[in-house]
Amino acid sequence: MQSPFEGKQPLGVVYNTSMDRPDAALALALLYGFQGKRESRIGSISINGAGLGAAIFCDLVQRFYTPGPLRNGNQVLMPGLAADGPLPADLAMVQAVISRTEYVRSIKRVGDTSLPEAVIRNGVIFNAEAVMILSARATYLAKTLDLDGVKELYKDRVKMLVIVDSGNPQDAPAMRKVLAEFPSPVIFCGREIGESLPFPGAAIDKDFAWTPAHPIADAYHAFRSGTYDFPSYDLAAALYAVHSDKNFFQLSEPGAIALNDDATMKFAPGPGKVRSLIPDPTRKQDILQLFVEVSSAKPVIPTPRVRRPDAGKASPAPAAITKKPGS
Amino acid sequence: MIISQKKLSRRTLLRGIGAALSLPFLDAMTPAFAGSTVPGGKPIRAAWFYVPNGIDMRHWTPGDEGPLGQMPSILAPLQPVKDDLMVLSNLTANWGRPLLVGAGDHGRALGAYMTGMQVYRTAGADLRLGVSADQVAASAVAQHTKLPSLEIGLEETRQAGNCDNGYSCAYAYNMAWRTESQPLPPISDPRQLFERLFGTDVAEPPALHARRLAMRASILDQVSGDTKKLETTLGNSDRRKLDEYLSSVREIEQQVQRAEKDGLIIDPGMDKPYGVPPEFPDYFRLMTDIMIAAFKTDSTRVATLMIGREGSTRAYPEIGIADGHHPLTHHMGNLEMLEKVSQINSLHLRLFSEFLVKLKATKEGDSNLLDQSMIVYGSGISDGNVHTHDQLPTILAGRGGGFINPGRHVIYQRETPICNLFATMVEQMGVRPEHLGDSTGRLQGLSLS
Repeated sequence: MQSPFEGKQPLGVVYNTSMDRPDAALALALLYGFQGKRESRIGSISINGAGLGAAIFCDLVQRFYTPGPLRNGNQVLMPGLAADGPLPADLAMVQAVISRTEYVRSIKRVGDTSLPEAVIRNGVIFNAEAVMILSARATYLAKTLDLDGVKELYKDRVKMLVIVDSGNPQDAPAMRKVLAEFPSPVIFCGREIGESLPFPGAAIDKDFAWTPAHPIADAYHAFRSGTYDFPSYDLAAALYAVHSDKNFFQLSEPGAIALNDDATMKFAPGPGKVRSLIPDPTRKQDILQLFVEVSSAKPVIPTPRVRRPDAGKASPAPAAITKKPGS
Repeated sequence: MIISQKKLSRRTLLRGIGAALSLPFLDAMTPAFAGSTVPGGKPIRAAWFYVPNGIDMRHWTPGDEGPLGQMPSILAPLQPVKDDLMVLSNLTANWGRPLLVGAGDHGRALGAYMTGMQVYRTAGADLRLGVSADQVAASAVAQHTKLPSLEIGLEETRQAGNCDNGYSCAYAYNMAWRTESQPLPPISDPRQLFERLFGTDVAEPPALHARRLAMRASILDQVSGDTKKLETTLGNSDRRKLDEYLSSVREIEQQVQRAEKDGLIIDPGMDKPYGVPPEFPDYFRLMTDIMIAAFKTDSTRVATLMIGREGSTRAYPEIGIADGHHPLTHHMGNLEMLEKVSQINSLHLRLFSEFLVKLKATKEGDSNLLDQSMIVYGSGISDGNVHTHDQLPTILAGRGGGFINPGRHVIYQRETPICNLFATMVEQMGVRPEHLGDSTGRLQGLSLS
């Protein structure tokens, strides 16, 4: 596949979520935080198992973190939404956010969302190197494996697939297909990882308060009343996917993901190519602090690169200038 | 319908010295034709019309999903045939995008649109693309017709050189690709197109060819002996059809001859090949009339027509636009330039509408050619100013033999590949490729059932 700039772009993140828990909303914020630091970029977001409101939510979070006009529609993919059957009702978590008119949004109807199997694949095509996070049912990721050239594409460009276990049942046939056919390394982020890292609810009121209208804080409060901590299932997976080299977690010996009778997942060491994340108690505070700092960061507005008249001569061209709102 | 006892072959040719002429569908062919593998007994045709440089999308997209009502201004010329077509919104040609390769949108757009494949960046001979949708369709029906497919262009052709940021001109000038490295150049000369269809299958000696051209002998004169013999075997209805058909062939011949004569006074600045009508609308009409004749005679069932090569700089003095098309589309929001783009878009749609009206008026048994066809009109670029390759302007005209319920606007989810539409079309033509470009499956919603 022709790509002369391969290896020079930030790592792309392809996130497949059901967007039905606070940790999923916070994972979005974390990923946009990494994007602001140019440590990674969002390749695509796709949602299955949720209503139109979840797609609107993801879109307005994207617009919140990347204000201004969409980049001509070429390099910003609208969130994918599984809409080939009846759509579930919107959860209170997203309903509370999308009902607020302060948030800019581009999605009003299903036709404004993207086809999930296409946006998963295209999210990889858009990036020289990508990671995938599968937190939703595997239905649409499995579909992509049957598309022309996709296995070769994933083999070439997907560094790893991180499968998140939050205790929800899976689409068993689809997950079996993914486990059998996915051509890149597969990492299992088990429930115990998320549960060992309770996101401090108090930080939502403190660190996200720099603006009177923050969609992530609104979603947190709408999910449940009061201040509460919650498991960091998707946050942990996102952290590992982007910073797998930073030793935030340990890795198990190879094994396999098995599906229980109720289609929930479990990891078993032994024959297999999957490796499971192991919590490292010594890194817990570092991780929680990183979660709060990065997910609560203000949006970074990229400004156009400015070419100086003497660019291309001895002195290097200036780096991209970033500006934080209010700074 | 009168069914003659004579089972005239669908591929009967009227032959003369150096000429062979296909026939239209006649009642006398019904028994033989019904025995073919064509579903429903009548052939389905597919055509792709490609318009370069995108569209002024502000005046293209109908507001609501559902039955087509009052059309937006650019689509207004289609009002007379709105019940025979669909407007399909949000389809994408992903490989037209810059992705990681960078500039060259015009160099990629056409190839990515027709194949759903990555366009390999080269200005040399090492072209690499994929088989285009029309050629996949042609592979299914080629055995039934004289020509597997017909490639038509309304601009000069180039097959080599760097046309856009390192992309070969072959990518911008060819819609049809037989293999990943073999484009099928479009014919832009009306006479050459006409002769490809209605000339002899046997190679004509150069001397005879030159003599016939010099004498401007009508093909009809050359096949008159066969014509008379055939007439004695036909019923009244078929004789009338044959007469109408031969008259239409003669009209096209005369148009071609007139064009060649008029061609002598073409402004050389127009850079058109010999024989092309000097006015673009006449050129469009002539070439689409030949396409209709090809479909009518079942000489081919698959055609592509390139209104302009991708990145075309054609001016449209016929409607008072002296600026080039491509530069105008980089309007940067300039309303005067945008208005001119809209006028060019409308002109193309007016001519396309005329073509559809003629197809509809062309009877075939108890149906008509438009009902038996699937005609795509579209571009691999939507907004020509910033080169977007999603939310493409797409029209699907015809009923495809009955499986399409037209008269509607359907809004698909974004990123739905345009190849999903093409995969559905080629399947209707009788071929089920395992994959067609980057398609993710069939395009739902074309039928109401």
